[in-house]
Order: sequence, then structure tokens, then C-alpha cells
Amino acid sequence: MEKDKGNYRIAVLKVNGEEHSVAVKDGETLLDVLRDKLGLTGTKKGCNLGVCGACTVLVDGEPKNSCLLLASSCEGAEITTIEGIEQEGKLHPLQRAFIDQGAVQCGFCTPGAILSAVALIKCNPDPSEQEIKEALSGNLCRCTGYTRIIEAVKEWKKYIKTKETQSLPDDLSEYHSVGKSLPRVDAAAKVTGQAKFTADYYFKNMLYGKILHSPIPHGRIKKIDTRKAEALPGVRLVLTGKNVPEITYGVSPARYDEHVLAKERVRQVGDEVAAVIAVDEETAEKALGLINVEYEELPAVFNPMEALKKGAPQLHERYRNNINTHVNHHFGDIEKGFKEADYIREEEFVGSHVYQNPLEPHASIAYWENGGSNLVLYSSTQVPHYVHYMVARVLDIPLGKIRIIRPPVGGGFGGKAGTTPLDLITSIASKMTGRPVKMVYSREEMFLYGRGRHKQYMKFKIGVKKDGRITAVQSKIYLDGGAYTSFGIITAYYAGAMIPTLYHIPNYRYEGFRIMTNKPACGAMRGNGTPQPRFAFESLLNMIADDLEIDPIEIRLRNAMDPDTRTCNDLDVRSCEFKATLKEVAKKSGWTEKYGKLPPGKGIGIGCGGFVSGAGYAIYRGQVQRSSEKKPETFLKKSVFPHANAIVKISEDGEAAVLLIQAAEIGQGALTVLSQMCAEALGISLHKVRIRAEDSDISPLDLGAYSSRTTLMGGNAVVQASRDVLKKLLVAASKIWNCDHKELEARDDQVFHKKDKSKRIGWSEAARKYFNEHGPLVGTGWYKPPEGLGGDYKGAAVGTSPAYSFGSSVCECSVDLETGKVRIEKFTDYHDCGTPVNPQAVHGQVEGAVVMGTGETIMEEVMYDEKGKILNPNLHDYLLMTAKDSPEIFSGIVKSYEPEGPYGAKEVGEGATLPVLAAVAHAIANATGVWIKELPITPEKILKALKKKKSSSSS
Amino acid sequence: MALSEIRFHTPKNLAEALEVLGELKEARIVAGGTDLYVDIKQGLIEARDIISLHKIEELKGIEKKDKKIRIGAMVTAQDIISSSIISQNITALADAAQSVASYQIRSMATIGGNLSSAVPSADLPPVLITAEATVELRCTESSREVSLSEFFRGPRETVCKTEELLTFIFVPFPPPNTGISYQKFALREANALAVASVASRLTLKDGKIDRAAIVLGAVGPTPVEALKTSEFLSGKEPSYSLFKEASLMAKEEGKPISDIRGSVWYRKELIQILTVRALNLALFRAQGKSKRME
Repeated sequence: MEKDKGNYRIAVLKVNGEEHSVAVKDGETLLDVLRDKLGLTGTKKGCNLGVCGACTVLVDGEPKNSCLLLASSCEGAEITTIEGIEQEGKLHPLQRAFIDQGAVQCGFCTPGAILSAVALIKCNPDPSEQEIKEALSGNLCRCTGYTRIIEAVKEWKKYIKTKETQSLPDDLSEYHSVGKSLPRVDAAAKVTGQAKFTADYYFKNMLYGKILHSPIPHGRIKKIDTRKAEALPGVRLVLTGKNVPEITYGVSPARYDEHVLAKERVRQVGDEVAAVIAVDEETAEKALGLINVEYEELPAVFNPMEALKKGAPQLHERYRNNINTHVNHHFGDIEKGFKEADYIREEEFVGSHVYQNPLEPHASIAYWENGGSNLVLYSSTQVPHYVHYMVARVLDIPLGKIRIIRPPVGGGFGGKAGTTPLDLITSIASKMTGRPVKMVYSREEMFLYGRGRHKQYMKFKIGVKKDGRITAVQSKIYLDGGAYTSFGIITAYYAGAMIPTLYHIPNYRYEGFRIMTNKPACGAMRGNGTPQPRFAFESLLNMIADDLEIDPIEIRLRNAMDPDTRTCNDLDVRSCEFKATLKEVAKKSGWTEKYGKLPPGKGIGIGCGGFVSGAGYAIYRGQVQRSSEKKPETFLKKSVFPHANAIVKISEDGEAAVLLIQAAEIGQGALTVLSQMCAEALGISLHKVRIRAEDSDISPLDLGAYSSRTTLMGGNAVVQASRDVLKKLLVAASKIWNCDHKELEARDDQVFHKKDKSKRIGWSEAARKYFNEHGPLVGTGWYKPPEGLGGDYKGAAVGTSPAYSFGSSVCECSVDLETGKVRIEKFTDYHDCGTPVNPQAVHGQVEGAVVMGTGETIMEEVMYDEKGKILNPNLHDYLLMTAKDSPEIFSGIVKSYEPEGPYGAKEVGEGATLPVLAAVAHAIANATGVWIKELPITPEKILKALKKKKSSSSS
Repeated sequence: MALSEIRFHTPKNLAEALEVLGELKEARIVAGGTDLYVDIKQGLIEARDIISLHKIEELKGIEKKDKKIRIGAMVTAQDIISSSIISQNITALADAAQSVASYQIRSMATIGGNLSSAVPSADLPPVLITAEATVELRCTESSREVSLSEFFRGPRETVCKTEELLTFIFVPFPPPNTGISYQKFALREANALAVASVASRLTLKDGKIDRAAIVLGAVGPTPVEALKTSEFLSGKEPSYSLFKEASLMAKEEGKPISDIRGSVWYRKELIQILTVRALNLALFRAQGKSKRME
């Protein structure tokens, strides 16, 4: 053995009732031993510092963080992992409760949360809600908003006797699968720890990589000496900018500005300077410390306003004055609009630079097949196809030579919507070493890679008539972009594009600047670009309503968008039940009895928002092809290739429908809703549908989970493919009765004559007969957004979509007026998502969005020191809401039907975030009498404002 | 040095632990590991040898001994919360333990570790200082008892010598008509360090405050004893206006710094508010009402 022998010894660990003799080093954590040596990968590594709780195991019945326990100290103890709580092959009642109550989304936090709950109910079988929250407060969840997890624990006893999970009552009677709150198709795998996320894969002969990050915010690399690192036993390869491709990459084709490893310049603390590939992670990390880099430090700039000034340090030669994107949009006549106004108010707002923080860290594993000619890349990505396209670009090989595998993804929220250095370095290094290479980010590296929300400095001006009708809206926004473009161009356009979708705005002007600063690049976070301007707009509207003494809900109703409207910026709204969401949320929350009538310290507020149901255009132009072979493409107002594609293949015995589509399940429930639509269209039960979405070799292209596109676009492709199958089946079956296939129908696993129900045959029998005569029963389907979407101005593509969602949220809070501390007590939300394919999944998205959006409003922020170093790159100091912080949430769905959507469905995932920020800010203002216009609204800011108000009113 | 490269020592009893500690003067002692391993993983601390106390049963109990409560260094926060000796005699310590991080961490983190780590925002020290706790520091040859108010020397620094081990914490039973309380302000409801905290103690005699103690947490390099404020309260009749006045004094006794959790200004404001709240609760308890912290 060539590497440091360390202090290995044999430890005997009793795990799930079985004794294991394992060679461990003294300092190895129980977490690493369970995962790396015992293969018990249901125990997850989320933060590795004892905060997230994803690594929770039971040690002698007590829940503990296995990342903070040394394996050697656990000898003699009974260790229970998620793999050990099934009894005689049957799921634990809590596991069933989690499945049935919809407590599982991405599934990454699920094993830890279940184990905490198992420990709780053992000593307290009837816990109160408070006790449940206390017990789960060490298990962070980024998807669910905790609501359904708490509900599952509360209801666990119901599941002691039931064998099967129950489906909830029918919601939309005309459908059989669609509209039903059926348990998620991937939930069982996630509650048992069977679901394998990217980092849970281990391949024989695998190497591990780590990245050396720049410690300085801006500089030139003068020299890199890697000799010592290369000489370290166990190191297989050291990569620097010199031995990776010259080609740049990124997200927006107009601004590919990143290199796999820095070529000669670093622009942020955390920039990738070198990578070490070694026999294990520890050796790779050690070798990083042996690389000697000489930098010539350059002046750096961290604030976008400073970056614009004359003489400011310049980040990229091509972005003059550090302006990466400039948007200048004017619709209608803004001057005329303000002239017509009876009342005008202008305010400045600042958003918070928040980070997605999915519980699962980014991970990639690459190896080459077929004698090194084909790349296989496992990636924890939201956008397998764009990773596919980008890896093909950087390696300059055809997409057909690459196979992308996307295992279950532990949350994304936009943080996994780009190709990562891990994807590229593993691909390059595995080619060079001839071995599988695995790389996983630490939590700190996730922050350094960034792609979180742009902090926006916003000035909004709204003009209204006396009755509150809007005559003009003007905004000027500076977006702090960080060091690279990533999604940023799109973000800068979105910051303006979505404002006119909610209200009738006759005259609108938006000017936006995305500015480069020496910090990690910002990207597309849930609601890409729109939540902060939406917060600003809604807050200003609330101020105006108060100024004019119009009820805030009334002023919205007077301006609310109507169905079948073309907005001033040429977006086509079809279905729109925005007004219904307003009316319902007012009724349900008791708005009129509360607004303006609560005692000091208690507040109620409203916010609204909505989002696209899929982007109208793909991120890159032209067809699916390696980029070096493409000629420059002009923009066409139509999709060149289908954005979603599906194949449905019926098993030869007719008992299963295998649905193939590359849609990305990242916790939002894509696999489930697509399977439900497949079952509905085929007329079979959901349990007969199996979806295969992970492997690009098996499933046809889908653009992935971004811009809330999966339900509408993926769904349309799935329905078409299913109907293709059904038609073939019915044509074949019609021969039995010598009738036309249109006279037949398939439902409830039966094929029958619509008029003569005695003519019937089992669905699977019909499929077997089809196979006998025609061979494989396969159908295909695809979806392209409608042609001609959007206007003819520069940037008109951003914001286009086949459909838009709408939602209204009411927040109720209490504020401790002595300390400024906010307690969010209750949320009431109504959403227009078209037909809810799975209402429980819709509610899950809303609840998660409420908690994430609230966190963004009151506590989350990435902070930097004066040298551009992140001060809180961990879950100790970057604050996510815990179960104890989460409010009571009511999520309602209004009746709506979107003609462009499958079964009338549209989006919910991102749209649900949009109303939240303003609702919280308004509730706080309502409780305190002071408006905080800079996020996050921390207790300190509130107290400062209260003191200022007091001293100015007393003086 | 990476955590995986450490040498791990697991003495089976106290005597053995002291012996190993005597031999390996550079060694770090680990109790629950919830601070130490985090620090090592983040590269804040270098350690080659680690002596773990997890097998030492002698350090795991809470018992009454000579008019004092003796708490072993390996007693966890969760043990404190569920101990009837603690909840009957010094509820505030259970309150403070309950406010530590999360359930998982509380089931690992120990009182010995919480004191020895000497993190300025630690939850247990303020209450223990107001309760006039002492700690026993032992080495192979000798042992000494140190008042907790003299134990802390700075952030992550105590009077405990490298060859010494913190073995027990002694808390005298509070005299009659005494109330102790703990008030913590943090930025979220769980898993959060104190931005500021205040522990207070009042002993009443004939309707007046016989003795008072106020200790401030997270507003100085060590827990800060607000001596002037405590003195000011002594001999006076408790009232809201008195507490308000005291809180203004306490505000000036804190020596906070600005960091990501709060500014100097805000921390001082918090001291003031928390002092009033802590004194109210302490008074309530001193008057024989046994309300747990809300």
C-alpha cells in the first residue's frame, strides 16, 4: 500500500442487528464508515458539520448526527440506520405515513427525519405538534416546508395496521388518475434508503477528485507548481488550466465565459484553479495543500454600484464597465401614463442574495465505456440535456457518444440548473486516467460555486388613478451578478418581463443592468429574477393602497389580469383565475375582519405572483448537435426541436406501461405527475406505469426541471405518446368486434365498447393480442411550444410561455416589538395551477415555497467580508428555517383549466414562491407600522426602524 | 490535519484518562464532539491525539452530594433536561440545555464540553455562573476546584491546564426564595447560537432582594458578570421600574462585538430587553412559582 497507513484497526460495529468487522481509521466518522464501507447509503451526507440532520442514525435508540460520531466510539452500541427499521420486510408505520401523507419530496432528508421520528414515538407515542417540531428541529428540509412531515408523524398510528398505502379521495371525478392525490411513485424507495443519489454510487477502481479554489477575489496566476502534489502517494492526476480544453462554457450561448479550470485569471474567491484526482478523497484533499500557486493580486470590487464607477476594477474585457447585460424596455408611453395618474409613488428596495442550498450536495461520477469511446456521466443535475450539450461542447465530441445518467436529485431550486465543474472535471479526468472518477462538493464548495439569487437594487415607480387603477409602472434594477454570466442574461430580462403578467399595465418601462463583481456567479434560483421585483412591486402597491385608503385586495382586483389577454410586453395569457385566488384567499384568511384591525405586534399582509409554465424557447439555438459543428444561428420565433419527448412501451404481457422521458425528478414530483397522466391517457391503473427518466440512452430528450416546465411540456409529450399507444391498441382490439376503433374506450384496465359494455376485454389481454400480431406496442409523443410566442423586440423571448400561473398569499405574523423578532404564524395561499394533476403534490410545492420564501424574506443571506470571502458558507450560519420556525399553512387550489396544458394543467413549483416575500413583508409592516424595504427583514432592522420611528415622532 | 488522521484514545476510567493526558500533553480531550469535530473538520484546530471520555462511566451521572449537585462532565444536554434533580432545583439549567441546537446535538453535547470549549455564546455557562457553580480540574497528582466565574479567560480559552481534565461541575443548592432564569435571543427557533443571552438570579429576603447576580452571554470574550447591576439590585425591593433601571446598567456592562449575527448596538439593546425578562422570571421563581422558560 503506497499511501499513509494511518491507524487502521478492526472495529466491530453492530448495525441494524448485525455485527460487522470493519477496518477503520481512528478518526473516521460513523457516517463515512456506514456509507463507504458498509454500503448503507440511506444515511446521507448533507452538511458534514452536524446541522442538517440528513446523517441522523439511532445509537442505542437516540438520534445522533453520524457525521459527528467517530466509528471507533460506537463499538458496543446498537446502531440503527434507515435500512434497519423495516420489520419482517414490511415498512415501518412511519415510513408508510411519510409515503401516504406526501411527506417525501426529494427524499434526501427523509431517512434522517424518519429516524428522528422513530425515536420520538418510541418514548412518546402520542406526541403533540410542538413535541414533533422539537424532535424534528435538527432535520432540515428544503422541499416540503415541514407541513406534511409533521402531519405524517402526527398520524403515524393510523398506519400500524394498514398494509397498503391509501390513496386519498377522488378530487376530480371525470379522471381516474389525474386529479388524485396518489402517493408518489418514488416515495417507497426514498423512505427505505433504497433510492440512490449520485454520491451513493460506488464503482470498482474508482478515483476521487477535489478542487483547489482561489483564495483571492481577483488576480493573475503567475505560476502553479504541482510537483509536490503529484509526488504524493495515491495521487493519480493533477489538472490545471494548462491541461483542460481552451473552450469556454456557461449557460447563455451569447456569454459563455467560464473555463473548466482558470486559464490565467481568477475572479472570485473559490474560482477553480486546479484539481487533484487520487485514490481517495482524503489523499486528494491533502494533495491540494501541496500545490503552490503564485498570484499577482488585482484590485477587486464587490458592490455593483462601485463596479459601475469610473476606474473600477474590470472583471472581463468584453463586459465594458462591468456591465454584463443591459436591458432597456419600453412598452406603451410611460410619460403619458404618469401624466394620466392621479397618484404616483416611488420607492427603492433591495433584495437578499440567497442561496438555494438543496440538501444534497452536487456530485458527479464519470467513466468511459467501449474502450474509451463513450462517456458515461452521472450527475445530480436538474437539466440532464443541457449538461449533455455542454459536456459535448467542452470535450468536442458528438452528443451521441455521451450517456448522461441523472439519479434522484436531492433538491435543486435552480442551483443545479447548469453544468458544474464537477461534470467537466470528472469527464476529463476519467478519460485521462482510464478509471471512474467521482467528485462531490462539500457544503462550503456549494456556496463557492454559487448560482444563487442575484441581489437586486430596485427602484419602482407606480402611477394610479384615484380608484387605484394602474396607469404606468417604471422600474430600474441593478443586479449583482458575481464573476460570471451563468443564467444572468435571462435573469436580467426576467426581472422585467414578468411584472406585466399579473395586472393590466398599459404603460411600462424597465431598465436593467447586470453587473459583474468579484463574487461567485449568481444564477437562476426558483422564480429566476422575478421574486425580488415582485416583492418590490407588491410592496409598493400595498403602500399605495394604504395611501389611497383602498383595501390592498380591492386594489388588486381592480387591476387583475384577465384570461386571454396579451400583455403590454407581448406575452399571451390564456387561462387566468387570478381574481379567484384573490377572492378565495381573502375569504379563507378572514382578511376583512383582520386587516387594519389587529393589535400592535400582530400583522396580516398580502402578496401575489405567478410564473411561466415552461420557457417558450430553449436556452441554445438551432438543433441538437455539437456546438462546434453548428453555424451561427439566427433567432427563429419557433422551436427547432421538441422540448419534451416521450416513449411509452407496453410490456409483452400487457401488465406494465414503461414510460420513457428524460424529465428530471428533483423532488418536485415530476415522475409521479407524468406517470399519472400516462395512466390516465392509457386507461390503466397508476401502479402499472413505470417511469424511466434517468438515462439518456433509454429515454428521449426532455429539457429538464427549470422554468416550471415539466407538467405542461413533459405532460403533453407523455399524453401524446400514451394516446399513440392507445390508438394502436384500440385499432387492433376493434377487429375483435368488427367495429371502428373510435367506438372503443379504455378505462380501469379494461377495453370496452362505449355503447355495448358487454363487449369488453382486459387491457393487458388486448395488449398481449396486439403483441402476437404486431410485435412491440410502443407509442411516441413530443411537445413543441406554440410558434410565434412573444414580441419582436430584443429580449422578447424571455418570459414567453404556453401558460402562466397565478397565486395569492396572505401571511399572518406576530412581532416582538422589543426585540424585533418575527414569528410567522399562518399562511393562506390560493394558486391557479390549472388542473392539479396531483393536488397533494401541488400543496407540497406551495408549502415548501412558503417556508423557503419566508426564509428569504426574514433570515437568509449569503454574507461576505471585505475581501470577498463568504462569512457563512455552512448551515450553522446560513439560516434555513427549521421545523420550529415553520408556520401553519393552508394551501388551496382554484378551479381553472389551461387549454394548452395536458388535462388543463400548468405550473406551481416556482410560481408558489412569488407571492410569499411581499406577503411576509406586508404582514411585518402591518404589525410594526414600519416598512423594511431591504431584505432580509431581520429583527435588528425592524428594531432599528421602530426606534427611529419612535425618536422622530417624539421629537 | 484531517479528522481521519487523528489518533484516538479511549481510556476506560478516570484514572486511565488522567494518565494518558499526563503523557500526551498536546492531546485534545473530546466529550460529545459536537464542537471539537466541527472545528477540526473546518481546519480551525489542529489535533494529532484525541482522548475520548465516552467510556468513562464515573463522569456520566447527576447526583446530590454534600449540599451540592454534582454533575459529571460527560452528562449530556439531554440528560440535564430529563433530570429531576435539575428540574426541581435549578430549572434554569434545564431551560438553557433545552435551548442548545437540536435534539440530535443535545443527545451528544456534554456539559463538560460546553464549558471547556469556552465559546462565548455557549448556553450553559451564564446560568451556572449565577448559580455559583464550581468545576473540578484534575490531573494525575492533584485536583483543584475553581469557581466557574474564574474559569473562562477568553474565547476558547480557560484556566484548565493541558494536563488537567474537567471532571465534575458542582452546583450548590440554591438557598430558599431564590429564582434563577435564562433568556436567550437567537435568529431562529432551533439550531441557533445566542446573539445575546442573560442569566439572572435573585434571592429574596423580607420582600427585598438579598442577593442578585446577572451574567451576560455572547456579548464578550467570556460570559460577562454584570457586577454593578447585581450590586445595584441588592437590598432593593423588586419592581418593574427597578428592573428597567437595572437593565440599562446591564446594557453598559456588556462588551459585545459586531458579527454576522448582530451589531454592537443590537446586542446592547438585546441585553437590556433580556435582562428585564430574565429578572421578571427569576423573581417569579423566587416567589415560589415554578414556571419554565417560554
